[in-house]
Amino acid sequence: MNSVSTASGIEAVEQHVPPKRRRLGTLLIRGATLLLCAIAAVQLLYAMGYLSWGFANWQPVFIAYILWSAAFCSGLVLRDGEAGWRAVFVLPALFFTLALVIFPTFFGFYIAFSDWNLQSAGGRSFNGLDNLRQLIGDPYFWNALGNMVFYVATVTVQYAIAFGLAMLLNAGIKAQKFFRVAFLLPFMLSPVAVSWMIGKSMLEYRFGPVTNLLRELGWSQPTLLTSPWLAKTTIALMDAWVWIPFMMIMILAGLQALPKDVQEAAKVDGATGWQGFWQITFPLMLPVSVTTIVLRVIFQLKLADIVINTTAGGPGGATDTISSYIFRVYKDRSNVGYGTMIAEVYLILIIIFVALLLKFTSRYMQRAV
Amino acid sequence: MRTDIYNYMLSRRAMLKGAAGAAAMAAVGGPALNVSTAFAQDDLRAAILRIPGVGKGQPTDADWQKVGEMTLGPTKQNVQEGEFKGVELSFMGLNNQNVHNVLFRGLSKAWADYTGATINWIDLAQADYNARLQQSIATGTVDFDVIEMGAPFEGDVCGKGLASEMPDWVAKQIDMDDYVGYLKAPVGTWDGKTYRVSCDGDCHNFNYRSDVFENAALAEEWKKAGGQGDWKAPRTWQDVNAATKFLKGKQIDGQDLYGYLDPAKGWGGFGFYFLGSRATAYVKHPDSKAFLFEQDTMKPMVNNPGWVRAIRDVLDCLPFEPADQLNADPGTTGFQQFLAGTGSMLSWWGDIGSNVNTNDSSVIQGKTAFDILPGSPDVYNHAAGKWETLASGPNYAPNMAYIGWGIYVMARVDSDPKKQKAAWSLAAHLGGKDISLWMAAYPSGFQPYRQSHFNIPEWVGAGYDEKFIANYLASQANSYNHPNAAIEPRIPGIFQYYSEAEDILSSIYAGKMTAQAGADAIAAAWEKRTDQLGRENQIKLYKKSLGM
Repeated sequence: MNSVSTASGIEAVEQHVPPKRRRLGTLLIRGATLLLCAIAAVQLLYAMGYLSWGFANWQPVFIAYILWSAAFCSGLVLRDGEAGWRAVFVLPALFFTLALVIFPTFFGFYIAFSDWNLQSAGGRSFNGLDNLRQLIGDPYFWNALGNMVFYVATVTVQYAIAFGLAMLLNAGIKAQKFFRVAFLLPFMLSPVAVSWMIGKSMLEYRFGPVTNLLRELGWSQPTLLTSPWLAKTTIALMDAWVWIPFMMIMILAGLQALPKDVQEAAKVDGATGWQGFWQITFPLMLPVSVTTIVLRVIFQLKLADIVINTTAGGPGGATDTISSYIFRVYKDRSNVGYGTMIAEVYLILIIIFVALLLKFTSRYMQRAV
Repeated sequence: MRTDIYNYMLSRRAMLKGAAGAAAMAAVGGPALNVSTAFAQDDLRAAILRIPGVGKGQPTDADWQKVGEMTLGPTKQNVQEGEFKGVELSFMGLNNQNVHNVLFRGLSKAWADYTGATINWIDLAQADYNARLQQSIATGTVDFDVIEMGAPFEGDVCGKGLASEMPDWVAKQIDMDDYVGYLKAPVGTWDGKTYRVSCDGDCHNFNYRSDVFENAALAEEWKKAGGQGDWKAPRTWQDVNAATKFLKGKQIDGQDLYGYLDPAKGWGGFGFYFLGSRATAYVKHPDSKAFLFEQDTMKPMVNNPGWVRAIRDVLDCLPFEPADQLNADPGTTGFQQFLAGTGSMLSWWGDIGSNVNTNDSSVIQGKTAFDILPGSPDVYNHAAGKWETLASGPNYAPNMAYIGWGIYVMARVDSDPKKQKAAWSLAAHLGGKDISLWMAAYPSGFQPYRQSHFNIPEWVGAGYDEKFIANYLASQANSYNHPNAAIEPRIPGIFQYYSEAEDILSSIYAGKMTAQAGADAIAAAWEKRTDQLGRENQIKLYKKSLGM
């Protein structure tokens, strides 16, 4: 075994691998790859009708993939020794991601360009750009997308509240530990439970304690979920109640990591509380804030559970989200092809939006620094 | 504890019965044995109907278990004790309002104990049912042996060869001749084969508050307000809307009054039935069975003037209904509103009638009456393209929404004769003649569907008020037996059509579309859906379901 210094200064280890073992490793990798390709090809040809025999489903191909992954990793270790071991630390995660994230995403595109209704007499068929054309002219999609703009915009309000709460908890108030746990409780609850406990019970028009309180306060008909903007706001409030603790805890972690001496120096220089916050704390917190907001926006873009359970997207689509719409298209109408097209297009929109958001915030931070 | 009480009561009753039987034998000799058997049957029905007894609280699991145990007789005639030992069955059904599967568990416990079979329950919420079933069918992953299913899905399941054909012994055990007419073939059959053990008979009837429509003060106010005719329960949809407008702002016993309750929020496709109930009187012409699609082309009829009038009726009524009506689905209108005292008119399945006196959350005992759905002075003749006034008077067309739940055995058990017999035995037990009477009388999710369910003295024996139950059963029987009943097509994907319509109706009710534009949008969506599902096949199955 020889040690070699690399340019980066990290010591790489070269191990001498006997030629016989090297050949065995190569053979294992090639054999497993050949087997996987053969099984996949047979099943593909069978599924396409070119072969009269094949497997009843794609499960054997998946099993072959798992075996191939194991054989590939073993082969690398045999063939490359220490370098093979290093690769094996990463490869399982890569193969896992390939099988459960990347492949389904691309397979999703394959489904998205097909006419596939689970109850259709003819089964699945390729229909080119029809689903995309349908989506472009689909008022329910655009309505839901419009609602998403509103829901995402509320993240800024949630951020402001979360920042305030985090500052409060960071200020050394009494019973700090209790409040930390108490504030986190809504985040620990399932949004489905929240939608039933709050949306269906506490906000219930006839017997809900919240609506009864509103009546006591003089609002004779507290219909929180029947007029479009009010319903949208109510949903946003319920969602905020669940997610503000998540933002708060992220920001609190950032606040606690801030160097105390900078703030103390500002105090000594005569900075007011507001100046200390706006000119010292807030800029220093920008990286944490950006991470928090980006993560929260991603979660927000997937909002569905509370809407499905509380309003089913109504009244008249006022609270609908893209995810709850996909849920209806897929679940109630078994329209797999079109539902998948909406999901794929939405994924692309999210990727573009988040990329732009990151770029914008990174420029903003550079300017701020 | 409760089971012990029943056991005590039953042993006492059995002793008295034995004494009566002995006396009868002594008096009339041998033939009295037959009379005694008949009495035993009647006695059993009377006994189960007293569990727990109307007005004695909502039945509990102990009650369900006891009823299941007492109605095991027909099973014992066809199955030996322990015959299905080692057999495991999966049963898929609903868990709505804590009935359906929740109830079946208790009712089938004695069956499982006797036969030795075990049952795994797959519970689904109403709104998830359609999707779960369709995915199982489409992906070839039918993971259940027995299913609680509505007749509208027969095209999807029986038409694709996924169901097991009913053996003759099952037909005899459950006495299929006892079914009400509309549940007999072709319902439950496909290509001449029988697949279904009915456990429910569905129709929407008209539920209304008798205390409101018999209230003298309201009658006087109605007259003063220039209301047409006498103040009484509405018999046409025009009357329904007029009464709804009149009742807004009125009170009874210090409670705000409301008229009709429209569910304006979707319910996984099931919400469309409620527009259907308003529309059938307008669109179901006595000369034609079709009211949703044209029979030769599957062209939607949902945007014809009759359906549009029904949508306009809803729009006309909604401002006078409770303020949260836009967010009320059918479950809300039935159980959170009407049974809880809000609203005085409602179209719903027969569950309302069986819950009024037996559901702990009901506050309208003694204040409810029933009828078939309201009619219309005129009906739209789709073929002729014009409104017609019938010589026979207003057009009535009860909506046989969903055609009732049934129990179906899946074909996957056919390869194992023991399992197949076990599955059918379980279905026959839950769809048995006596057990079904109990289910019709108490909260179960099922309504009367056998001719033998309409024997009023039996219900009175359970504790029902005779006037109330006679009125309720008449509303059911008159709906089932109505010559112009609207029976929905048993075609694949029917709930996709309904779900599509629900989305658009939600927009119409929220004021985002006009009634006509919305109806046209529904028709366009339905056309697209028919093309996607395969128009030729849909037409073929539609005609078959219409009996053509």
